[in-house]
Amino acid sequence: MSKAVLVDITRCVGCGSCVVACKLWNKLQYRQDAPATGSEAVLAAENWTAVKKVESKKGSEKVWRFVKEQCLHCDEPACASACFSKAIKKTKEGPVVYDEKLCVGCRYCMLACPFSIPKYEWDKTFPRVRKCQMCAGRVAKGEKPACVEVCPAGALTYGKHEEMIKAAKERISGGGYINHIFGEKEAGGTSWLYLSDLPFEQLGFRTNVTTKPLPQYSESILRLTPAVGLGWGAVLTGLYVYNRRRNEIAREEKEKR
Amino acid sequence: MEDQLKMDKRITRRSFLRMMGGLGLAGITASLAGCGAVSVAGQAGGEGWLPQQYQVPGTWPAQVRGRVPIDPANPSIVRDDEKCVLCGQCLEVCKNTQTVFGHYGFPIVDETVCINCGQCALWCPTAAITERDDTQRVKQALDDPDTFVVVQTAPATRVALGEEFGLPPGTWVMGQQVAALRRLGFNAVFDTNFTADLTIMEEATELIKRVKGDIKRPLPQFTSCSPGWVKFCEYFYPDLLPHMSSCKSPQQMLGALAKTYYAKAAKIKPEKIFSVAIMPCTAKKFEITRPEMNSSGRYWKNPVLRDMDAVLTTRELARMIKQQNIDLTRLPEEKYDPLLGKSTGGATIFGATGGVMEAAVRTAYFFITEKEPPANLLQLTPVRGLTGVKEAAVDVPGVGLVKVAVCHGMSNGRQILEAVRKGESPWHFVEFMSCPGGCISGGGQPRSAVPPSDQVRVQRINSLYQADAKMEWRESHENSEVLALYRNFLKHPMSELAEELLHTKYVDRGKSYNHLAASVKAAGMV
Repeated sequence: MSKAVLVDITRCVGCGSCVVACKLWNKLQYRQDAPATGSEAVLAAENWTAVKKVESKKGSEKVWRFVKEQCLHCDEPACASACFSKAIKKTKEGPVVYDEKLCVGCRYCMLACPFSIPKYEWDKTFPRVRKCQMCAGRVAKGEKPACVEVCPAGALTYGKHEEMIKAAKERISGGGYINHIFGEKEAGGTSWLYLSDLPFEQLGFRTNVTTKPLPQYSESILRLTPAVGLGWGAVLTGLYVYNRRRNEIAREEKEKR
Repeated sequence: MEDQLKMDKRITRRSFLRMMGGLGLAGITASLAGCGAVSVAGQAGGEGWLPQQYQVPGTWPAQVRGRVPIDPANPSIVRDDEKCVLCGQCLEVCKNTQTVFGHYGFPIVDETVCINCGQCALWCPTAAITERDDTQRVKQALDDPDTFVVVQTAPATRVALGEEFGLPPGTWVMGQQVAALRRLGFNAVFDTNFTADLTIMEEATELIKRVKGDIKRPLPQFTSCSPGWVKFCEYFYPDLLPHMSSCKSPQQMLGALAKTYYAKAAKIKPEKIFSVAIMPCTAKKFEITRPEMNSSGRYWKNPVLRDMDAVLTTRELARMIKQQNIDLTRLPEEKYDPLLGKSTGGATIFGATGGVMEAAVRTAYFFITEKEPPANLLQLTPVRGLTGVKEAAVDVPGVGLVKVAVCHGMSNGRQILEAVRKGESPWHFVEFMSCPGGCISGGGQPRSAVPPSDQVRVQRINSLYQADAKMEWRESHENSEVLALYRNFLKHPMSELAEELLHTKYVDRGKSYNHLAASVKAAGMV
């Protein structure tokens, strides 16, 4: 029963309600050096979501678009796969959640993420990895994530993953969009899906992301580990037995002589 | 005793340290394993606090509703995200009272549609949305000995400024306001009411010309004093812009005159003048940035010269007065400076919804009949009060029945505009005010912890009408300084020079947003 959020970029007016809701619900601070709205908006340890203003062009016309950024909550998250202490997990409802009690601070997740989402509290004595949790607590209770709840423009829709894909395809067939649901295939599929009327790379999206789930790259090699381990052991054991037997024979021959 | 000695021997320093080390190691292991403190849900986030608005029972979905978009470059209003609690009051007023948010389609083009009315700032319960503060700029000008700072005060600030100093709503502080401005260091204090009278002279003349067919402009004529309304019309009803009176707002008229007529009379170089307006309005801050508002620059052939340099809201003025430790309530009543300082009752009531209409009717009656208007025109009851759309019919000898309408709040404005668009308008003249109640309840007026109430609006309005009733001159054409201005400078209403300095043009903003799909409109999904 995986859930998803559909972000319709054409409907976003850039009010930043989602940013404020995220800050309120997750008790995050406002930082002057890391704005969460406007042209300079960035994701940061205290910005789990940001609404970035992009000045672009549609044909010859100058247009503004607002892009909501946050963790995309991959179906097969590379961060969770890279995490050896199980501090990052994918829940069955869709959110990819982080447990600071289990985190050892290795930051492999930050390297693994194809979208550079997780941020680190570099300025803290006991730093944590920080990123959107898709309001896992609310989602588990059947509620919408805080940001979706407050969107006054209808830019965010929350529902079952299949239904969101279906809704996105319906909107695309209705016209006014480019034929691409960002997140349907990217990184093997994500729980956050985007619709746009402009090419995604024009809006600053990372579009050169593989469509293969990232953990599969390492899995194709790492799944040989037991076979290689056992096989190598067997070879070494064989060599040992062979050498011992050879030495024994050599010793016996020496004694005979 | 011996036992104790034995015990002491058994706990050596080494064994004690080993024990403490062991305990520490066990503790670290336990906390790393996640024992001890209870993890909230096994994941980060979600411990935040959510506001309970207005003590209404309920949880987050009912109480937390989002907010309107505000462009950081908006000249009128700014928002402090840290104070926003997403109560949705701004959405409520923007969408339902002013019919702006939700009345444009998607995607947006390249601006955040906003009429700069500032009603959201008035409704915001946490003061997250405020006027853009221009007090520093004004202080700089005041501190500069080379700059001659002139100031004008809107009709509506004199019945509201007192509230900032603990006086009841509607208290008349016209004289104290002038005194306070002089103490702040303004070199000349003028009255926007003076140009309100001037507006009536121009606007009534224009109306008569429209009715008689002397100028080819359609009826009804729309008033153009409210910059929020003007921008609203430019956005949503650009096809009706020919109806808009070409008169500038009183603020802009005074700005243009201060740097031409006054500069000449007082022998001050116009580029040395810094012109400030005290307004109940945030849209006025936008209005002065309109590129065409530089007719004094065109007059002096100095393209950098702007008609107005800064606008302060009533709240900003109150802050400046308080910062100088001036107690408004203890100030003597002082008079405006001459030349642009006298006014009539007709100008005084500009601050209330229906006031512009009433003043215009008084003077138009005089212009047409050359007789003093009858007593019922000096108290035109049908256009007074807080009804959303008000209508009146005035019998003018020689012309017949002149039909007028008055509305305030853009949702009410839409009713009239739709009728005009359909060609069903019976009116000759329509007054539009962007803010509910008119300027007295503008986006820059003193605010309270609760949303603006009709009780406060009525008190401010009554104060204006009482002042009007007591005035020596009730009709704009009686203003001796306005008549002197025409005699000595402009010649007559709508003269060539008057057209250049006091009239303006409008822009079609219909293309700066995508229109709402007809299906969405029909479904009432806005």
